[in-house]
Amino acid sequence: MEDSPSMDDHQDSSLVVGVGLCDSAPLLWRLQDLKTARRLGLVGALLGSLPRTPRQNQRLGRPLLLLPEEEQLLRDEEAAGALPGPNQDVGGAELRRQFEEDQQRSFEEQSVLALEDRKSALRRAMTSSHTGSESGAEAVDEALCGRLEALDHSFSFPQSAMAVQLSTARAGLSYCPEARAHLQASWPIREQNNPRSDARYQVFRDLRGRGFYLTSAGKFGGDFLVYPGDPLRFHAHFIAVCLTLDESICLLDVLAVARLGSNVKKTVLLCSPVPDGGVCYTSLQWSGMV
Amino acid sequence: MQIGLCDPHSLVGPRRQRRDCNQESCDWCGAHQADQPKTANSFKSVGSSTERGPRGMLLLLLRLVNMADQNKTGTEGKLFSEILSPSELFAARSRSHKIPVRGQKDFFPNDSDEQRQRLEQSLNEHWSLTSEERVERLGNLVKAVWIPSDQIVELQSPAGKFWQTMGFSANGKQYLLPEEALYLMECGNVQVFYRDLPLSIQDGYERFLSSATVTLQQYQVFGHLKRLGYVVHRFDPSSEPSSYARQLNLPQSRDRAGRQLKRKRSPSPTATCSYTEAQVESTIEKMEEDKCSLEGDDAKKLAASPDIQTATTSGADEGRSWWMTDDLGASDKELHHSPTSGSSRWDFSSIPFPDVGSSERHPSCLAPPEPSLLPGDLTVGVCDIASWRRKINLRMVKMSSKEQKREKDTRRRRWDVNKDREVRRCRNWAEYHELLARRQRKRKGRPAHLWNREVTPLHDPKQPISTGELLDKISVIKSTHLLEGASRLKGSEQWRICFNVYQPDTVADFKKSNPGKPYSRMCVCSFDGPVPDLRAIKLLAFQSGDIPVVFAVVDHGDISFYTFKDFQLPTDVFP
Repeated sequence: MEDSPSMDDHQDSSLVVGVGLCDSAPLLWRLQDLKTARRLGLVGALLGSLPRTPRQNQRLGRPLLLLPEEEQLLRDEEAAGALPGPNQDVGGAELRRQFEEDQQRSFEEQSVLALEDRKSALRRAMTSSHTGSESGAEAVDEALCGRLEALDHSFSFPQSAMAVQLSTARAGLSYCPEARAHLQASWPIREQNNPRSDARYQVFRDLRGRGFYLTSAGKFGGDFLVYPGDPLRFHAHFIAVCLTLDESICLLDVLAVARLGSNVKKTVLLCSPVPDGGVCYTSLQWSGMV
Repeated sequence: MQIGLCDPHSLVGPRRQRRDCNQESCDWCGAHQADQPKTANSFKSVGSSTERGPRGMLLLLLRLVNMADQNKTGTEGKLFSEILSPSELFAARSRSHKIPVRGQKDFFPNDSDEQRQRLEQSLNEHWSLTSEERVERLGNLVKAVWIPSDQIVELQSPAGKFWQTMGFSANGKQYLLPEEALYLMECGNVQVFYRDLPLSIQDGYERFLSSATVTLQQYQVFGHLKRLGYVVHRFDPSSEPSSYARQLNLPQSRDRAGRQLKRKRSPSPTATCSYTEAQVESTIEKMEEDKCSLEGDDAKKLAASPDIQTATTSGADEGRSWWMTDDLGASDKELHHSPTSGSSRWDFSSIPFPDVGSSERHPSCLAPPEPSLLPGDLTVGVCDIASWRRKINLRMVKMSSKEQKREKDTRRRRWDVNKDREVRRCRNWAEYHELLARRQRKRKGRPAHLWNREVTPLHDPKQPISTGELLDKISVIKSTHLLEGASRLKGSEQWRICFNVYQPDTVADFKKSNPGKPYSRMCVCSFDGPVPDLRAIKLLAFQSGDIPVVFAVVDHGDISFYTFKDFQLPTDVFP
C-alpha cells in the first residue's frame, strides 16, 4: 500500500479474473480482468461497440470473449472465478436511494464545474480581446467583475445538461476484488469431453507455455492462429490444426489446408498431443521438385 | 490514499493516475489538471487555500466532497472501480472522438528496446480506448424500461432518430426489441432502467440475450451489420407472402407489434403449403404424369383382358365345343403341324361354309346355323337361296390357251400365302394381323429383337429430332434447380433464418410498416457446427423466396459471410 510498483505486483499475482456468463459464453467485463488475462498471454476477442466510436467495426470494445481453451486454462491455474449473475443483486430500496443521492450530488458538482468553466472562458475571452489596448487595466477588471457577478446570478445548469455514465461492467461488482476461494466454488463445470477438444486444449497449453499467443482461426481453416508475440504488434506465423494421433485425415484435406496456408503466407502446423504429455508438431511446406 | 509519484508508463491504467497525480506537467493528467482546481486531490493542500469568498467556499466544499468520494471506495476498490467521478464526467465532454491509426506490425520479436517500447505504446493505447466509459448528456438519452415478462423494452421518453428504422408501437406506447435496445445502449442513445436502477451493458447482455430472444452469436451479427449501417429486422416466416401472393403483387402489411407482445412465445408453425407451385414446371413432374396415364391405360387393358378371357372360357363351358379341337384330336389332313397351344383352335374342316357360287353343287337352301351361335332365343329356319343364285353369274369363264398359260404362270409366281409356315401358325385373324405388322416393322427397320423387348432403343434413327431434344433424351442426370422439391421439406430447428437485412442507403425513406424487399436474409451459424447440407440450403431458399440467403458464420468475434448461388450450366445447343 505504500508505493505503487510492488503493490501492483502483489495484486497482479493474486488477482482473480471474474468471468461473466452470457448465453453460456465466458465474457470478461472489467478492465482489470482484461489486463490480467492479457498478462497471462490470453488474447480473447472483443465483441462490443467501442464507446468512443460505436458505429464502426475496426476496433471493438468490451466485453472480451474467451476461447474455451482460455477459459479452461484460467480454471486450471485457479485464476478465474464466476461473477454473480444478473439477478443476484437486483436493486433493493437501499441501492435505489443511494443511486438517487449519487445522481443529485453529481448534478450539484457538475453545476459548480460548469459555472467555473463558463467564468474562466469569459475571463479568457475578455483578457485576450483587450491585450494591447491602451484603455487601461482597471476598466477591463471592472467590466470583468461586473460580468462575472451577472453570471453568478443568472447562470443555470439544466438537468438535461448533466453528464451521466452508462457503465460497461455491472456497478455493484466494482468495489472489491473477489477472494479466490469464494469464487472457485461457484465455477460452473462446463467441460466438453470429446477427444478433439482435449487435443485442442493440450496443444493450446503447450504453445502458450512456449510463449506464443493464440487466437481463433476459423476463417483460416484451422484451430488456432499462432503469434510469436502480442498480436497487437506481430503477424501470425502459423495456422495450427489440432488432430488426435489416431485420427486419419484425407489427403485432399491436407492439400486444401496447405494451399490455404500458402495463400495467406502462414505455415500450417499439424499438432497432435502424444501420450507422454507433450505435443508433436508437423509443419507443411509447399516445395517444388527437389 | 495514494500520494506516490505518477508513472505514466505503468500499465495500471490512467484512471488511477488522474486522481493521484500531483505533478503539474504530467503527460497523462496535464490537461486534466488545467481544468480543475489544483488542490482537489491531496490532503496536503486542504488548509492552504488562499481563495476567499463564495468561490473559495465552493472550492473547499468540492475538495472535501472529492476526498470523501475517494475514501469511500477504498484502496483495493480503486483497482476495479470503473465509476467516474462527477468531475471526470464533466471533463468527458472534451474527449476526442478519433481512434488512433494502427501502425505497421513487426515481423519477428527480438529483444530490442524499440520493439518493447512500441509494444507498450500499442498496449497503452489499447487500454485507454478499452477502458473509456460511455458518458452522455442526460438530455440526449432516451429513457426506457426493461420488462422481463414480455422480454421487451418500453420507451418512457420520446424516441430519437433511431425510431425511423427500429422499434414498434403497440397499445399507444413505443417499444424496442431486446437486441435493438442493447445496440442502442452500446451506442449511448438509450438508458434502460430495471426497478428504477440503470442497467449496465453487462446487465443488458446477460438479461436480454438468450436462446428465447436472440443468442449472443446472433447479436454479434446484428451489431456488426447495424454498425455498418444496415437496417436489420427479425425474420418471421409466417409473415412472408406465399409465392402465389408474390405473383399477384399483393401489398404486404407488417405488424411487428402483434407478434412481439404475445404472452407465450411459442414457435410459429412452419407455413403449410396450401398452394401449388404453378410456375415451377419440372420435366420430372411431367414424366410422372405421363407415367400415370400409361399406367391408367395398362390398367384398362388389364381390366379388359380378363373379360375377354372369361368370355372365351365361358363359351367353352357352354357347349360351343364342337368346333374346338384339342391338340390330340386334330385331324392331320389339313394341318401339317400341330399347333403349340390348341385349346381354342377352330377345326375348320368341320365348319361348313356354304359355297354359294359353286356350280358343282346346287343347294337350293342353306341349312340353319347352329342355334348355340345365335344370340338369345332367335331361331332361324332354312334359307332358300334359289333366288339369289339366279342373280349370280355362274357362267364359266372361257380362257384362251394363252390366257390360261398366263394364268398358270402368275399363279405359279404368286406367292401362295397358305404355303407360308408362319401364316399357317396363326390361329386367327388377330394373330395374322400381328404377323403382318411384325413383318412390316422389320421391313421398316424396327426389328423385333430391338423394339419388342423391355429395353428399347432410346430413339428411332428414322424419326426426326432436334439436337437439343436428343441431348435431353441422352442426359442421364437431369438438371435441376435449387427450389425443386423444397416445398415438401419440413422445417428444422437447427437451420432457420434470423434476420432480414435492408440496404443502408434506403434509411432516409425507410418505412417500418412497409419496408419493401430485403437486400438479403441472414442465417447465423458457427464454425463449430456443421456445414449446411443441400436439404438445409433448399429449405432456407424456399423460406426466403427470391431473396438470397447469406450464412453469417461467427468465429469468436470474427464474422464471415457466405452465400450459395443457384447456377445453371450453360447449354451449347440451340434448337
